[in-house]
Amino acid sequence: MGIFLQQIINGLSLGSVYALIAVGYSLVYSVLLFSNFAHGGFLVVGGYACYFALKTLGFNIWISSLLSLVGAGFVAILVERLAYKPIRERTNVTLYLLIASMGMSIVIENIFVVTVGGRFRALPPVIPTAPVNLGIATTSAFDIISLGVAVVCLVALQLFLSRTKWGLAIRAAAYDLRTAGLMGVNVNRLISIVFFVAGALAAVGGIFLSVRYTLYPQLGTITIKAFVAAVIGGLGSLPGAVVGSLILGLSEMLTAGFISSQLRDLVVFSLLVITLLVRPTGLFGKSVGEKV
Amino acid sequence: MSPYVESIITLLMINSIAAMGVSLLTGFTGIFTLGHSAYMALGAYTTAILYMGHSVPWAIAIFAGAAFAMLVAWLIGVPTLRLMGDYYAIASIGLAESIRLIIANWQSLTRGARGYPDISKFATFNVTLAFFLVMGALIFLLIHSRYGRAFKACRDDHVAASLLGYNTARYRVLSLVISAFYCGIAGGLLAGFLQYLKPDMFDMLKSTELTAVVVFGGMGSMSGCLLGTTIITLVTELFRPISQYRMLIYGAVLVIIMVLRPEGLLGRYELGPRLLRHLFGRKTPEGTEGRG
Repeated sequence: MGIFLQQIINGLSLGSVYALIAVGYSLVYSVLLFSNFAHGGFLVVGGYACYFALKTLGFNIWISSLLSLVGAGFVAILVERLAYKPIRERTNVTLYLLIASMGMSIVIENIFVVTVGGRFRALPPVIPTAPVNLGIATTSAFDIISLGVAVVCLVALQLFLSRTKWGLAIRAAAYDLRTAGLMGVNVNRLISIVFFVAGALAAVGGIFLSVRYTLYPQLGTITIKAFVAAVIGGLGSLPGAVVGSLILGLSEMLTAGFISSQLRDLVVFSLLVITLLVRPTGLFGKSVGEKV
Repeated sequence: MSPYVESIITLLMINSIAAMGVSLLTGFTGIFTLGHSAYMALGAYTTAILYMGHSVPWAIAIFAGAAFAMLVAWLIGVPTLRLMGDYYAIASIGLAESIRLIIANWQSLTRGARGYPDISKFATFNVTLAFFLVMGALIFLLIHSRYGRAFKACRDDHVAASLLGYNTARYRVLSLVISAFYCGIAGGLLAGFLQYLKPDMFDMLKSTELTAVVVFGGMGSMSGCLLGTTIITLVTELFRPISQYRMLIYGAVLVIIMVLRPEGLLGRYELGPRLLRHLFGRKTPEGTEGRG
């Protein structure tokens, strides 16, 4: 029983980190209607920014995290301005945006390979990982911290979207970007804000993932799981992204704990296929069938 | 011809067969894929296992491999391609990763991550040339047939295509299955040419490369994708000394093409008199030429 509860907590903790990534990805998808494959790159930027702020500049974890969040947010805006803006202003073919985002993800990954090298780096021990006894189960402090931070970030995002003027604009844009523009929303600034938020959330995920695993340029490929989580929850739906991520985190940890850790990625993909077969719109998705 | 040149040309033809498949799907039907190396892997391993393990004649083994790739493509395509949105793109990444994992872990059948050694060579220069010519001719016939026009209609305006009575979902799946057939054949030939298979050969990088050559050569131009494959293969050979920059350049090229010239090198033109007229002749009104 103790082991089972422990795996549940680990699963929720991993799932909440996926949620941070999936929510940003979903936010971009809901506004621009394309899969931003460069999203994993923002995560890696966040991880490396935190690493170098801690190691080279010698800041404490709070300042380093802040730098990492802001850095990844600005990189996200830069990517949008350089690669997506010229395309979306000229055409509405989302295929071009997809290809450009794939290119950008390769560029970001390989900039790190070329400049800082492909080796694995461990973040200095700034986040406690000591075991914590909860009475019924033992888990690590890190799992509890990452769960807590993720919840705080998601609540903050929810407040931003529901209570502020820009949040209202983003929700309007998720219904119809063009109409939102006609209603006087500055679309380019709105998209920049969306990318900044997505990049900053990905950076939080990146910091936790680089503590959980290690930091390396290909860490961004883990966003595939966040994409899958977003599809399970319903593409473009934020609550869906969170629920999908938790389901994914739980099933991954339970598979790793009770069956085999090599099968966990297969389980993730099977969940994707089952979702698409049974309920293609995901748990919370809008109808995506072809309408004529 | 020296053996070195001959082997480069053989590899070029194998890559071109796979690229033709991806070109049909991405260039002509407008579906983005990041997982076509999976179909190559299925073709390659099925061929190798049947040919070496069960002494099936290689010609039959290749087609069995391609048929298996088609079956998997159909199973993935039916649930994902019914939907509008990036469902297939995400599923394709998951598929490629899962198949690579299954191959790497199914020791008894595929010999796992260490690779499948000592496959007798059957894909000689002449055999590959024959496959290349026949499959190239077939795909050119296909894109100029009723089916080819239907694929392009799905790409350009799926609403209009459905109103004209095309079952667009069915055509998208058909296009995927045919492209899986091409990649499966290419995989089988690769097994017979390299005489050695390893799951890592069919990673995300290979899928990216396949999509990149299609985008580079021109989406919607079959000869463009052949030109793209040739240029990229030669450039890769020439720049082997600076191979760590290779992926960075790939990514940057993808972004730059999307931003500056999303139609790629040849656009929707095939190599031939029409392209020359377009390049050197008087400008014709948009949309009257090069759409055929």
